[in-house]
Amino acid sequence: MSYAVLACNGVDKVEGALAREVGLRVAEATGGDLVCPVLLNRSPTHYEKTLTEDALIVVDGCGTRCASKLATEAGAKPKQKVLVSKLAKASAVQLEASLLLGPEEMAFAESIVAEIVAALSAAAAPAAPAVAWDAPTDFLVVVFNKFEFRIPRQGYWFSENDTWARVMGDRARVGISDYLQQQLTDIVYFDPPEVGAPVEQFGVLGEVESSKAIFELIAPVSGTVVAVNEAVVAESPGLINEDPYGSGWLVEVELSAWAEDRELLLDGPAYADTLGPKAATY
Amino acid sequence: MSETTFMGVARTKIPWAPQIDYAKCDFCMECDDFCPHRVFERRDGDVKLVVANPNNCVVFCRACAKTCGPDAIAFPDKPQTIKLIKELRSAEGGTP
Repeated sequence: MSYAVLACNGVDKVEGALAREVGLRVAEATGGDLVCPVLLNRSPTHYEKTLTEDALIVVDGCGTRCASKLATEAGAKPKQKVLVSKLAKASAVQLEASLLLGPEEMAFAESIVAEIVAALSAAAAPAAPAVAWDAPTDFLVVVFNKFEFRIPRQGYWFSENDTWARVMGDRARVGISDYLQQQLTDIVYFDPPEVGAPVEQFGVLGEVESSKAIFELIAPVSGTVVAVNEAVVAESPGLINEDPYGSGWLVEVELSAWAEDRELLLDGPAYADTLGPKAATY
Repeated sequence: MSETTFMGVARTKIPWAPQIDYAKCDFCMECDDFCPHRVFERRDGDVKLVVANPNNCVVFCRACAKTCGPDAIAFPDKPQTIKLIKELRSAEGGTP
């Protein structure tokens, strides 16, 4: 597989300087082509071929996420993404104000590169065969102005943060509702949680990113992450838009306290009642 | 807007909203451009953006903070907020 690397070059922030360093090293490690964000912004057609044909790795510096936004504007779907400021926070790395990278920043950049390269080879491994979770067929439809929101009548439990859980035995699949996918519009990336990680109800099960927003996937259930939807992660985040209750599922959780969790969730008809007032704020 | 609830609890009783660190904020307005719930409002003067409608904020949503380049937006502790909601629910007699 050939790669393209689009990294923040923000030279006025240390996060940007780090992102640039990470980008250079990832390009070297993967043999990928570098995409200059400044030139991409100035002349979008310059990288058209690279961005459509190669697997794109995006490295953002700070929360403004210019590189991600440029990728979205160019119609590219990133295969792998990192946000340096978030990783620094997660690893408790204190970034110096100096824009010239010191040995500690260089070591941190190396660790990010190693993480990206490891994730790329993991994604290349074949996905486990999917368990047969049949698709819902019976929907409630809430109509609001020009929008129509579908909600499975039965078998799905919703949080008020627009995520759902579908339970089979001691496991649940989790995804986002049709309402939320329509609000987010085109979803370009799903950053999944780690398999094996514990999760509390209303904790975070990764992040869904669209051109509009980054949405934390609020866990409707507590337990342990046992699988993530590799088809969405590695290939087609658009499945979330196309089939939010079926093939666009996101995470599978082994349940630890389903009876308690359920008390704080809504069934299909109750969730449908919440959508009118919500949609009215848009 | 009429009285809203979250998980059966009056929204006004749940202290969930962004807090702006004005030492970091550069008033780029990315958060306000993003948030569809009119939580923020722009002002004239030195402080150009305020959290004007904290109860419009969607409980547990932190999406505006993720648009913030200077990392100037913080939210209350989530586990504590969940605990508070559960306490308020049982005080009010369970599920509505």
